[in-house]
Amino acid sequence: MTDLLGLEHVDVGFATEDGRVSAVSDVSLSVSEGEIFGLVGESGCGKTTLAMALMGLLPATAHVAGSVRFQGLELLDLPPEELRKLRGDRISMIFQDPMTSLDPTFPVGEQVAETITAHRDVNDARARERALGLLGEVGIPEPERRFGDAPHRLSGGMRQRIVIATALANEPALVLADEPTTALDVTIQAQVLDLLRDLRTRLQTTIVLITHDLGVVAQICDRVGVMYAGQLVEVAPVAEIFRSPRHPYTQALLAALPTQQQVPGSLRVIPGRVPNLADPPPGCRFSTRCPYVMDVCATVPPLAHETDEHLIACWLSEATKQAGRPDHATAGGAA
Amino acid sequence: MSPRARYVVRRLLLAIPVIVAMSIFVFLMIHLVPGDPVQTMLGFRATPENVSTVRAQLGLDRPLLAQYLTWAGGLLHGNFGQDFISHTPVSTLLAQRLPVTIELTLLSMTLAVAVGVPLGVRAAARPGAVRQATEGFVVAGIAITDFWLGIMLVLLFAGIWQVLPPSGYVPFLKDPVANLRYLILPVLALAFGEAAYILRTTRGAMEEVLGTQYILFLRAKGIAERRIVYRHALRNAAPPIVTVIGIQFGVLLGGAIVIESLFALPGVGRLIVTSIQQRNYVVVQGGVLVVAVLFILVTLATDLVVGWLDPRTEEGAAT
Amino acid sequence: MSVAVTTSGAAPRTVWRRGILASRKGRWGFGILTGLALIAIFAPLLAPHDPNAIDATRILAKPSFAYPFGSDALGRDVLSRVIYAYRVSLAVAVGSTLLAFLVGVPLGLYAGYHGGWVDTAIMRPIDMVLALPAMLLAVALIAIIGPGSNISALAIAVIYMPILARVVRSSTLVVVSQTYIEAARARGTRSRRIITRHVLPNAIGPAIVQATILMGFALQIEAALSFLGLGAQPPTSSLGVMLADGRDVLTQAPWVEVFPGLAIAITVLAFNFFGDGLRSRLDPAGVTE
Repeated sequence: MTDLLGLEHVDVGFATEDGRVSAVSDVSLSVSEGEIFGLVGESGCGKTTLAMALMGLLPATAHVAGSVRFQGLELLDLPPEELRKLRGDRISMIFQDPMTSLDPTFPVGEQVAETITAHRDVNDARARERALGLLGEVGIPEPERRFGDAPHRLSGGMRQRIVIATALANEPALVLADEPTTALDVTIQAQVLDLLRDLRTRLQTTIVLITHDLGVVAQICDRVGVMYAGQLVEVAPVAEIFRSPRHPYTQALLAALPTQQQVPGSLRVIPGRVPNLADPPPGCRFSTRCPYVMDVCATVPPLAHETDEHLIACWLSEATKQAGRPDHATAGGAA
Repeated sequence: MSPRARYVVRRLLLAIPVIVAMSIFVFLMIHLVPGDPVQTMLGFRATPENVSTVRAQLGLDRPLLAQYLTWAGGLLHGNFGQDFISHTPVSTLLAQRLPVTIELTLLSMTLAVAVGVPLGVRAAARPGAVRQATEGFVVAGIAITDFWLGIMLVLLFAGIWQVLPPSGYVPFLKDPVANLRYLILPVLALAFGEAAYILRTTRGAMEEVLGTQYILFLRAKGIAERRIVYRHALRNAAPPIVTVIGIQFGVLLGGAIVIESLFALPGVGRLIVTSIQQRNYVVVQGGVLVVAVLFILVTLATDLVVGWLDPRTEEGAAT
Repeated sequence: MSVAVTTSGAAPRTVWRRGILASRKGRWGFGILTGLALIAIFAPLLAPHDPNAIDATRILAKPSFAYPFGSDALGRDVLSRVIYAYRVSLAVAVGSTLLAFLVGVPLGLYAGYHGGWVDTAIMRPIDMVLALPAMLLAVALIAIIGPGSNISALAIAVIYMPILARVVRSSTLVVVSQTYIEAARARGTRSRRIITRHVLPNAIGPAIVQATILMGFALQIEAALSFLGLGAQPPTSSLGVMLADGRDVLTQAPWVEVFPGLAIAITVLAFNFFGDGLRSRLDPAGVTE
């Protein structure tokens, strides 16, 4: 399987009144074609920022370093106009809140059609045809009637489908879905996830699913990457992650999930607070809350292959210790 | 009836009580004058006979309600009373003066919008050099008093360079070129401040819209920035911009009083002012009422346009 | 129990430090306003000459060292005249806005807090006033009552009161929807106490910002009214009166016209900047215009 997307040492910082905020720190990972990759972490861990950096949608105050290779192209070097042409065409993004993702004054069908005309040389009638087809594909009943509706006439679930329809209009190779189901009811959630899964099956679309919901991850992801405070701490196939999480943060995250065996009234929480990204702790950013913290944790642990498919960035791991030795080149992630 | 039509009708009906209340206020004006209005009108030389004659003429000796109803009835027939000095029907005076004020307002607002909106959009969409320049313009436009600017313009163009007349007026139909020559300076004086205000409103509304999620999503879809700004952002930013334009239009209709006086333009504003100085209350009443009603109608029209622009109003969401 | 976390309320010290002093605009605005206020207050000490002293020998004299703003058609020193006229104009501007504030804010608070028919009863008439263009209303009022500085102040207050009432009402509506108000009600606190202790401090911010900005414009309205002869009456001279006077000698002595106008412009600017400085702390939601 070929690598569709490869990140190397991606770093994103923002210039703010309070100094430089390091939102993403030295993240390297790769995603294969046709894979559904889950990017997990709590709010503020940098996963959305990372996705926005890929798309080139960060504000001017952001500074992005590193390398992002997509289908052989170096995205961070592309001039803005070239990047724009990729967006909506070969890479699409789905935002979290369907209630605010659509232009309130524009008919929903038109919003789908304009994605098509922006990137393909077709006339309006053809675009409309295709848009209608897409509305049907994402499960909008009576697409003809709904085409001219303004967004406020549609429910949240419907709007999210419109958003998905626009994202898929030009059959992108990569879809970045940022919390696509968080704002929706559970039943609608399931339908949306089915849609995404169907996409991958039919069109070999690669999906990066950003979420903080481990349940969603369990349902549809192939592999999972775990982020904490801007750092990528663990990457593994989904079954592995649930069965044997290696990184202390991942372990704590999974332990915090309420289970049936638990004594009522006891919730396992992770003590401590998320670090201030304007002044992050040196080295591993989880070190301030980690039950196994050691002195060496003040140096950033490199991400290394514990097994062929399981990567971890923690000084507890032999692989990391190996990779951290001076005679090794800085470890990057490989699939 | 469709929800939208219902909305329109409802707004129209709401305007009626406002107009009626306005007419009551205007009607009461003459009665609120301290002392005897007729005495004041006629001045010192009035004899008691004159006073009672005029009072009877104006119907001021009848009960208040009867007076109001007669007056209101007269209004509906187009009878605004008579200028007691020249005995010209007030409606004639108004018919002569209104077009002047309207032309002044129309030209000024058109210029202000033509300058203010595009600059405001540009300043919001492309912060940088444009924004700095517009910032200065906005500050100057808001701080500088319009009639002072008018006087300065007169100093420059009529006093020093002598290329334009300092005051006066010729109807458009009689001599379009001269008409415009007389109007350039007053229009510039008014438009400067209005353009600054409209620019600021446009810039603010656009900035707010450009920060929304749906604009971000449009960028994520790879839509060209130009299209985003003009077909999406502007459409969404339009309501407050149009509202301000509408209100300012109404304000100019009634508020260009000073400019009209300054440039000796025979408009309604100037009529009202001179009538006040002459204690010509009947004319003042007519003038104020007409301008007030126009203002209410313009505000109403603006509301309707804004409602039409935003599809959400159908549901009765917007007031 | 003191005021809890709010939408727009802020301790005076924070407003000062982080609002006015923080932004450049705020600093400039405050500085200029202080200067102008001092000039107005200490006019007799600052004016180099008697503003009414007629001097036939220097009619329409150009600005010079002794007479920095030149002299007018009666040989009077323009600078001194501007300083004294400024006093009058500023007094009208500040006084009228304060009056509008004192009347409008309670009305808006009451309407916003109680809602329902109280709201309608208060706001309907107020909206009626808003349905008239400002200048027209002012002129109409003066037509009824008669000209004068006090009347123009009253007229301006009448125009501004609805604006401030509306602003306060909007922010009151926001504050009232907050849970700490519900909590106070649940504790059985009396309405009047809730309003004064909790609602007022938090809702008043935008009104203060709006009032500041309106003061600057009040100066312009006063000038317009006086220019038309409807405001300050002789022998009192305000900036508007000076603008009218200056017109007569415009080409021969433009300085008589220029300086009063500049004084107005600078003041409006200062009020605007000051208001902007306040805005960041008192009205982050942008309820004012």
